[in-house]
Amino acid sequence: MISRVAESCFWLNRYVERVEVLARMLDVNLAFQLDVSLPDAKRWLPLIVVTGQEQHFLTRHGAKSSDDAEIVQKYLTWSDDNPSSLYSSLRCARENARTIRETISLEMWETLNDLWVFMNDRAARRLYDHHRDVFYRRLRDQCLLFHGIAQATMLHEDPFRFMRLATSLERAAQTARVIDVKYHSIGPTSPDESEETASEAAQWMATLRFCSGVEPFLKRPDNVLCGRAVASFLLFDPSFPRSVCFNLERTRNFLDLLGAGAPGSVGARARMLVSEAADFLSKRNIAEILAEGLHETATWVVETTGEIAGEIIESYFHPSSGPTTSQSQSQS
Amino acid sequence: MIRMATGTKSKTLFADYAPLDGAFDELFAPDGSVRPEAARTVELLNAVGIREFKARQKLADASFLKSGITFSVYSDQQGAERIFPFDLIPRLVPGALWARTRRGLEQRIQALNAFLDDIYGEQRILAEKVVPEDLVLGAAGYEKKVRGVRPPSGVHIHIAGIDLIRDPAGEFRVLEDNVRTPSGVSYVLENRQVMKRVFPRVFAESKVQGIEEYPIRLRDALTSVGPAPDDQDGTVVLTPGPFNSAYFEHSFLARRMGVPLVEGRDLFVDDDKVYAKTTQGPQRVDVIYRRIDDAFLDPEVFRKDSALGVPGLVRAYAKGNVALANAIGNGVADDKGIYPFVPDMIRFYLSEEPLIGQVETYVCARDEDCRYVVEHVGELVIKAVNEAGGYGMLIGPQSTRAEQKDFRERILANPRNYIAQPRIELSTCPTWTQHGPAPRRVDLRPYIVTGRSTWVMPGGLTRVALKKGSYVVNSSQGGGSKDTWMLEDGAA
Repeated sequence: MISRVAESCFWLNRYVERVEVLARMLDVNLAFQLDVSLPDAKRWLPLIVVTGQEQHFLTRHGAKSSDDAEIVQKYLTWSDDNPSSLYSSLRCARENARTIRETISLEMWETLNDLWVFMNDRAARRLYDHHRDVFYRRLRDQCLLFHGIAQATMLHEDPFRFMRLATSLERAAQTARVIDVKYHSIGPTSPDESEETASEAAQWMATLRFCSGVEPFLKRPDNVLCGRAVASFLLFDPSFPRSVCFNLERTRNFLDLLGAGAPGSVGARARMLVSEAADFLSKRNIAEILAEGLHETATWVVETTGEIAGEIIESYFHPSSGPTTSQSQSQS
Repeated sequence: MIRMATGTKSKTLFADYAPLDGAFDELFAPDGSVRPEAARTVELLNAVGIREFKARQKLADASFLKSGITFSVYSDQQGAERIFPFDLIPRLVPGALWARTRRGLEQRIQALNAFLDDIYGEQRILAEKVVPEDLVLGAAGYEKKVRGVRPPSGVHIHIAGIDLIRDPAGEFRVLEDNVRTPSGVSYVLENRQVMKRVFPRVFAESKVQGIEEYPIRLRDALTSVGPAPDDQDGTVVLTPGPFNSAYFEHSFLARRMGVPLVEGRDLFVDDDKVYAKTTQGPQRVDVIYRRIDDAFLDPEVFRKDSALGVPGLVRAYAKGNVALANAIGNGVADDKGIYPFVPDMIRFYLSEEPLIGQVETYVCARDEDCRYVVEHVGELVIKAVNEAGGYGMLIGPQSTRAEQKDFRERILANPRNYIAQPRIELSTCPTWTQHGPAPRRVDLRPYIVTGRSTWVMPGGLTRVALKKGSYVVNSSQGGGSKDTWMLEDGAA
């Protein structure tokens, strides 16, 4: 398939994933605020930190605003110049979709375009002002609908594979960011669970909910709510669709379907990087990770998936044959 | 508003409709009675009633917005998207009239194609002085760089959009030829979809000819002229990109033909062959439906600053390694200054009389015509030959003295650049306005596809001047569109 089109498929799903994860985090955080008494600063700023926009936010709104729930939510939801806001991610998703309408199905386009039209309509502002939880859920649900429609209406061939590949890779990174919220909100996690405070436990509960992971987590009989178990679940669980290991495995599968398994093939190096990362992570154990610092592992996941994405972009989308003038998109 | 609301339920749609004096109304006779071919449709629309009609118009608008069937406007901020205003009252064309018109269009395309083949070949028509040589060789659309390059099967005009009007007698006449990259067909197909959804019963009972096969006809025509006529794999649509005003259409056609949509940067030329950059390496391309103007097609040959084109494309084309639709250099055939000679071309190449009329035209390049035009600016419609979209045009009877003076000076400074026509009273169709249906002027652009044979789509883009009294139907100037129903021959 045309490299530029493949690249748009790839970015489309990364942006959709960002919308879904951020919408869910904002929704969960709203409810979480009611449960535990922590200062707002630690409740909202971490969300900005993990989207990589702390510097930008502080320059724009000043340190004082970081404990203002309204300003932070507005910044993460509507800000046009925050490249990670829901609004910006949705615009990028829709813009990528618009350039590949001939590739995606009509229903996929309509779902996304509908959401974009809604976001720009007064109805969205009203919903945001009066029923914010419903507003965030609507965004999240439309993203899930988008995936469902893709699954059910597209040819399961290369364009679809590039999209799913992007979703898997982005999910691995987003889960790592979600794990890191706790670090930015409360601080490092002790390897000894008996040292955990009630608010830390509450934060881990929120972390699971950020990933829709509460019930899957509880289905593992040995799991009790503590940092060690939650982190282990989110990093390693082989069947949970948002765990890092699950998504690295999926990334590898989709690369194989794209033919990257054959030596010397276009995506061979990307596949090698994914394999190395998956093997490296699966050989580690949670005690060792916590002793060394969970934040360090989360950072490693974000950086490694970034490197893999870079390799995919380089090899599939910007091959050296012929001149390329393609502009690259924000990777944050 | 309140006055309107009372009793609207019982009021039929066309109860207050009055045709415009002096114009041919396509649905109603001058005495206000319904034309026979429209009787059943009007009856059914009347039964819908005004209130329900309004509700369905809303439904239609929402459906265009939801599907993102939009165009961008150049004068607007970059990338702003609008929906093309759509009028729900269909336009009806009797089957017998359309059958005549269709034959006239086939004939015209055949002649225009023969003209291009000749101009870029032997130039017989110039030698025999049927068309003035300086007018042809001096036309902005004449590309001497492709003289001697004959496209596969001699097809130059794969896709044409011929603008027609209905004159006061109700006959179709050609107003303008578009044989470079005519746009709008996607709206025709989408309008039809929406109409079928919004007025299923009216549509079903009106016995309308189908237009849905357009994309398949186009794909077959395209592959039939390629170097490998039985292989569809190497066919692509080439677009300038998402910021182009017709991007929706480019993507629509690629989708409906099932072929890739590419931008210039997705293609490259190696050893005079065209390749697409794909995720599995270079892949051969042999037919390009290009929606990029000649000037931007290949920076090696045309505009050096073009980032939209593909360097080396013309070399590959000249070698016969790739087919371009439409061919390069077609601009000379739809030049407004050449238009007056098309009837002579038909006689010259086909030894036939034109089956479809056109509009009397003064060519300012001729001294005699120029004098007449300058003296009668206030009565004529003046058009710059190299402009489109309703730009560079003066409608004499509706112009101010200052505008007339300005055009007089412009014509005298560059007569070659202008033609003039008497103002034709465009036909009208009932069109929904804030005050109910009112007569508005329309034109029609049918699409003609040529591969191994020629096919005229039984339908077309009806553009309607939404402003009261306006003659300008272009979408960039406040025009809208309607679904055009070519009735089955013998149906009413």
